[in-house]
Amino acid sequence: MATFIQLIVDGLSTGSVYAAIALALVLVHQATGLINFAQGGMAVLAAYSAWWLLSRGVPLVLAISASVLLSFAFGAVVERWLMRRFERGDPDTAVVVTIGLLTLITGVCGWLFTYNNQQFPSLFSLDAVTFLGVSVSQRSIGTTVVIVVVMLLLQALFAGTKLGLALRAVAINPQSAAFSGLPVERLLMVGWGLAAALGAIAGALVAPQLTLTPGMLDNALVYALAAVILGGLSSPIGVVVAAWMIGVLENLAAVYVPLIGYDLKVAVPFILIFVVLVVRPQGLFGRKTVVRV
Amino acid sequence: MTLLELEDVTASYGPVQVLDGVSLSVPENGAVGILGANGAGKTTTLRAISATVRTGGRIVFDGEDIRGRRPDKVAALGIAHVPEGRGTFGDLTVRENLRVGAYLRKDRKGIESDIEYCLDLFPNLQDRIRSNASALSGGEQQMLAVGRAIMSKPRLLLLDEASLGLAPTTAKAVYDAIRRLRIESGIAMVVVEQNANLAFTVVDSATVLETGRSVLTGTSAELRGMDEIRRAYLGG
Amino acid sequence: MAGARMTTAALSDRQRSWLRRAGPLLLVVVLVVVPLVFPESVNETIARIGVFAVAVLGLNVVMGYAGQVSLGQIFFLGLGAYVTAYGVSNDWNIVVVFVLACLIPAFVGLLVALAAARLGGLAIAMVTVALPIVGVPLAKRLSEFTGGSQGLSARFGDAPEWSGLYDDQWRLYLVLAIGGAVFLLTRNLVRGKYGRVLGIVKKNENVASSVGISPYRYKVLAFTLASLIGGVSGFLYMLVIQYTSPETMSFGHSIQLLAAMVIGGAASIVGSVLGGAYYVLVPQLTNLVDPSLTALLQGAVLLVVLFVLPGGLASLARPLGRGRRSRARHDPAPLITPSATTKSGSAADTPETERQGHP
Repeated sequence: MATFIQLIVDGLSTGSVYAAIALALVLVHQATGLINFAQGGMAVLAAYSAWWLLSRGVPLVLAISASVLLSFAFGAVVERWLMRRFERGDPDTAVVVTIGLLTLITGVCGWLFTYNNQQFPSLFSLDAVTFLGVSVSQRSIGTTVVIVVVMLLLQALFAGTKLGLALRAVAINPQSAAFSGLPVERLLMVGWGLAAALGAIAGALVAPQLTLTPGMLDNALVYALAAVILGGLSSPIGVVVAAWMIGVLENLAAVYVPLIGYDLKVAVPFILIFVVLVVRPQGLFGRKTVVRV
Repeated sequence: MTLLELEDVTASYGPVQVLDGVSLSVPENGAVGILGANGAGKTTTLRAISATVRTGGRIVFDGEDIRGRRPDKVAALGIAHVPEGRGTFGDLTVRENLRVGAYLRKDRKGIESDIEYCLDLFPNLQDRIRSNASALSGGEQQMLAVGRAIMSKPRLLLLDEASLGLAPTTAKAVYDAIRRLRIESGIAMVVVEQNANLAFTVVDSATVLETGRSVLTGTSAELRGMDEIRRAYLGG
Repeated sequence: MAGARMTTAALSDRQRSWLRRAGPLLLVVVLVVVPLVFPESVNETIARIGVFAVAVLGLNVVMGYAGQVSLGQIFFLGLGAYVTAYGVSNDWNIVVVFVLACLIPAFVGLLVALAAARLGGLAIAMVTVALPIVGVPLAKRLSEFTGGSQGLSARFGDAPEWSGLYDDQWRLYLVLAIGGAVFLLTRNLVRGKYGRVLGIVKKNENVASSVGISPYRYKVLAFTLASLIGGVSGFLYMLVIQYTSPETMSFGHSIQLLAAMVIGGAASIVGSVLGGAYYVLVPQLTNLVDPSLTALLQGAVLLVVLFVLPGGLASLARPLGRGRRSRARHDPAPLITPSATTKSGSAADTPETERQGHP
């Protein structure tokens, strides 16, 4: 029983990291209608920038904060100078562009920092807290809490602020938004910037566990994509719930289903998608996305 | 005093020239109609003003040539465009749509009272204030589109085919509200309308377009009187 | 040279259509001669290019022609290679092995497509990305069949006695024959009715539905066909490289294959060949420069191509075939010839390793 609960809490923690990347994907999709396959790569770049600052003696919290800010700027620049040309065109071409970006970023990280694993210190201690006979690492709890807070902030941004409203309006109908005087182009940059900043948080949270490599988040991206498919592209809450579900289920499957085990747990979300597709043949993107931003 | 002046405006979508010399003058507080058959360039004339099509010629608003500016900058000057097909934000609620319309304003109290004014102008929207725009009927969406546009407190309103796809009574209700708006606010208007009789309930004068060119300009009374013109361009 | 081009410009219509008919014949002659004249290393490189040209062609069917982004094509190459390796090492008849190497990937592709095509739009890209990611650990796990992380070696396609050819020449002939057949069949397919339907589905699914075409069915069909062609490329891969491991179908390779397709030219038969050449040659070049720069350069090249040459390299070659007259008048001398000669020259200089086979 204790292992079981531990597995669930750890699953929520890894699920939270997938959730952060998935939220970033949703944010970009909301703003520009694209799926950014480089989202994980950009987060890795952010983690490397934090790591580099650390190696220069900058304190951890400061280094991570700086990397989040840098990521915001980088995301905005990518939107303005790379993606803008492809936003109104064929979405498939745009996907290939983001894949090119992913390759490029991975290449830059590997070139600057080598492909060797680098240690990245954790914001939270690995010490376990024991609660009702179950011991859970502070890192797991901390990761989950951070992501929940970020999710609530995002929700507040979109539901309650003028900026959030403007971002949504631009995503729905850029022309009408411009007719109302919204600076459409700047808002698109802000959307990508926010997504990149969110990714940077995820990168910093997961780097201690996975150790830093240029391909660190390739798998996390795949999980995040699965969460986005399951949760719905327009629904942050749905996406986060799906990501948690994936994190918990893959953890449980790894331990309790010998056929899957640790090596094949990456297949879990896709088995899940397959099952859902059989149950809901009209597909998950069919009308009926209930949860709204 | 002239608020908007179009001089020999041309416009093209890629290689296709759509406007071939449109001239138009809208006085302060005035309302001008643009009439003509399908494909005559009515919608494109509005798009030329709101800078969403590539143009030539001169477009002078409040003494400044605004041709070639970005659409959001044109909007910021006080020109609000209600596009053909309404262009409401489907996944936003009615209130949120109105708030987006007020994006450029910073006076919270004024925004709230103007939302009240919109709801008074279009009572149908009152009960739907929390509904998504996509759940509204065509007439309600049209009302919302006008409401969204006037939330920015524009000096000039561009109205494109506000009666399109609406039942006659609904179309009349929309135009009644627009006439009331004109009287109460004094906003200048350019009204594109297929249904000339509806347009004449609002505008003082009108220009008739034929294949991208102004061919006739006159007051509402003059144009109404010209039977042959009516048959040729105004559809009855 | 200039004189020759002047004559081309002066050709009459009839002569040009004769040229067009002679073109394929000339191609066949070149393909027959090539394996005989080049040294082993060049033959092997050409064979590799053939392998990946077929793989890129498969990707082109689903992505270029049907417009569905697939990030899993390499998985079907890997699957075909494993099936081939397993069959060969169990001494199955090679024809049976070939058929299985086509059918098993096609069947798996069909299953994946039946689910993924339901999602529509970008979701196909999002699901197919899982194929290499799941495929690698799966290959490691099924070690009875796949040899685990070690991978499988299998050697077949040695030159028969009667041919009097070296092994590398024989294998290259096999690649050219099988690959050529796949290219020819695919070309006829995409230029026919089927290709036009795919074009409609790619352009606008609603329009397709409105004229009675089921986008779902055609997407599944395209994906299945792409998987089958992927299986063929896997068979050829084993023939030429004779070794496969889980790494063969890694995510990185999948992305490189996609990059090769875009750079070669989407929805283009010539582009598939150019893509195969890109896949094989460019990493060799970048490795010469600096191995740690490979990924960086690949990404940069892909982005540059997308910006300045959205039709890929094939769009450069297109005017060659279509507007022959205007090209002959204005274009400078072909760029390919000099580099090709220096290349074969330098390759001839390299010391030959001992050739195996029956001289």
